[in-house]
Amino acid sequence: MLRHDSARLNIRSRREPFVAKSQLFPVTVVGSWPRPQWLIQALRKRQADEISFDEFNTTADDAVLAAIKYQEDANVDIITDGEQRRDNFYSFVVEKLEGVKLMTLTDLMDYMKDRASFEETLRALDVPAFAMRSPVAVDRVRRKRHLALDEFKFLKSHTTRKTKVPIPGPYMLTRSMWFPGLSDKAYPVIEDLGRDVCSIIREEIVALKEAGCDFVQLDEPVLSQVVYGSEGEETFMCAALASRRDPTEELRYAVELMNLTVKGISGVKLGIHVCRGNWSRREDVLLKGNYGPLLPYLMEMKIDQLVLEFATPRAGELEVFKEYREEKEIGLGIVNPRSTTIEQPKSIERRVKEATRYFDPSQVYLNPDCGFGTFAERPVNDAETAYAKLRSMGTAASNLRKAWEDGGEPPS
Amino acid sequence: MEDFVKEIKTKPDVVKNTNGPWRSRVTWQGGLRAKAYMRNHAVTFDEPEGLGATDTSASAHEHLLSAVGACMMTGFVYQGTLKGIKIHNCEIALEGTFGDIRNWAGLTDEGTPGYPEIKAKLYVKADSDRKTIERLWANAWKHSVVTQTVARGAKIIPSLEVL
Repeated sequence: MLRHDSARLNIRSRREPFVAKSQLFPVTVVGSWPRPQWLIQALRKRQADEISFDEFNTTADDAVLAAIKYQEDANVDIITDGEQRRDNFYSFVVEKLEGVKLMTLTDLMDYMKDRASFEETLRALDVPAFAMRSPVAVDRVRRKRHLALDEFKFLKSHTTRKTKVPIPGPYMLTRSMWFPGLSDKAYPVIEDLGRDVCSIIREEIVALKEAGCDFVQLDEPVLSQVVYGSEGEETFMCAALASRRDPTEELRYAVELMNLTVKGISGVKLGIHVCRGNWSRREDVLLKGNYGPLLPYLMEMKIDQLVLEFATPRAGELEVFKEYREEKEIGLGIVNPRSTTIEQPKSIERRVKEATRYFDPSQVYLNPDCGFGTFAERPVNDAETAYAKLRSMGTAASNLRKAWEDGGEPPS
Repeated sequence: MEDFVKEIKTKPDVVKNTNGPWRSRVTWQGGLRAKAYMRNHAVTFDEPEGLGATDTSASAHEHLLSAVGACMMTGFVYQGTLKGIKIHNCEIALEGTFGDIRNWAGLTDEGTPGYPEIKAKLYVKADSDRKTIERLWANAWKHSVVTQTVARGAKIIPSLEVL
């Protein structure tokens, strides 16, 4: 593990000098919104190559407009396009990159070292191998299209709200795309692929910034698997993770990739999202454990905000930040995207108040723990429930701002 | 598929030929390994290392689980296709637990060495409603050759020749 002091030396300090109380506690989302059935049908046709990329996008435009409307009506301050054009949060890159093939875990089984462990994982998760897809580098990876610039431009042209674009983080993309037996011809070692991935993501962030995006979120959920997953176990997120090195080496590599990707970029808020899985509504099959072991590494990353889950006991307590007070912003996971219960504003306000023990109020953003439809075919909630949860967050944020404006005291 | 259905509806010879007999020849490969030849195909068998074997292939009883699943899948896809249902993907996860491994080892005659029950879960992505798919799935195992052979306990007729 890194020593905290050494991590502290590398902190990227980009705190806003002053934030008006009326703008405290911005409400945002992690990214995905449940897709309507007609969009899923279109996505299946696209995957079967029965319709073109452009034909699919024309259909998806309507779904994005609906996702925007839901977020705006729920008083979300920083909105996304609901990731409506994506199959999931990282596999969509196959449409954007050359040299990458979307493979189901069924396809990858023949290349896995330990299929017996993989079978255990599938049974524990209660999922079929064909439903899990991973982009795999089968040749030199080059950009065919921008990863998300087209998504952003459509979003930007249909809202006056601030915007966030989630894109896969460099570690997750590198790890998921490098598969022994398939990738090593083009990239003998994973580090060769990592450099190309960083370059592609970096170009994307710069393009998004120049196009006016306010917030780019780099998704790295697989980092929690590195810390809490079983050794030698392939996962839903990253079939190639079985070839990982020890967790410390992996986390150092993740820091290296992230900092290589974002080096010198300013003028756009950069966040990292790390959760413990969002593929099932069964809490018992999702990873659990606090963020403590990850924090020294996350603090070394030259990013502004940690977008983390804190709505369920699985994520542990906010107290892990006591050694890292006010070092970064927190995107506080405040509602559970997988439950049908709508969190009440009062309980959200209490949790935010707790967060202000470790963060300046200007550093606290409110978001769900994760997306509502991370995987197109397996959304964890319906749009109505997701909307109600966002509404509750919006109400809580409004109450909190008023409380801070009234007396500077957090609500009890 | 439709042509085949038409043939077995109208041609007794096709029914007779398709009914069998079906054959397999199992040869010993040393240790607990075996190799079975079926028409122009071959499959190998072994046992886990814990049993003193070399674990180069799946066990016979694992092949049985797979055969049950594969046969049900064939029926499911066949029946679905005949009904014009587009099946995008399907997968069957099977599981069985021995009644008592000591029976297999000859340490007791109590219980059964085999699987008292087999669980089979179908995952499917298809352009159809859930009720239709449930009916297809029920038919898949009700009319599955292997599943019904196992479920009804086929009469085994052993014989022997010592050379």
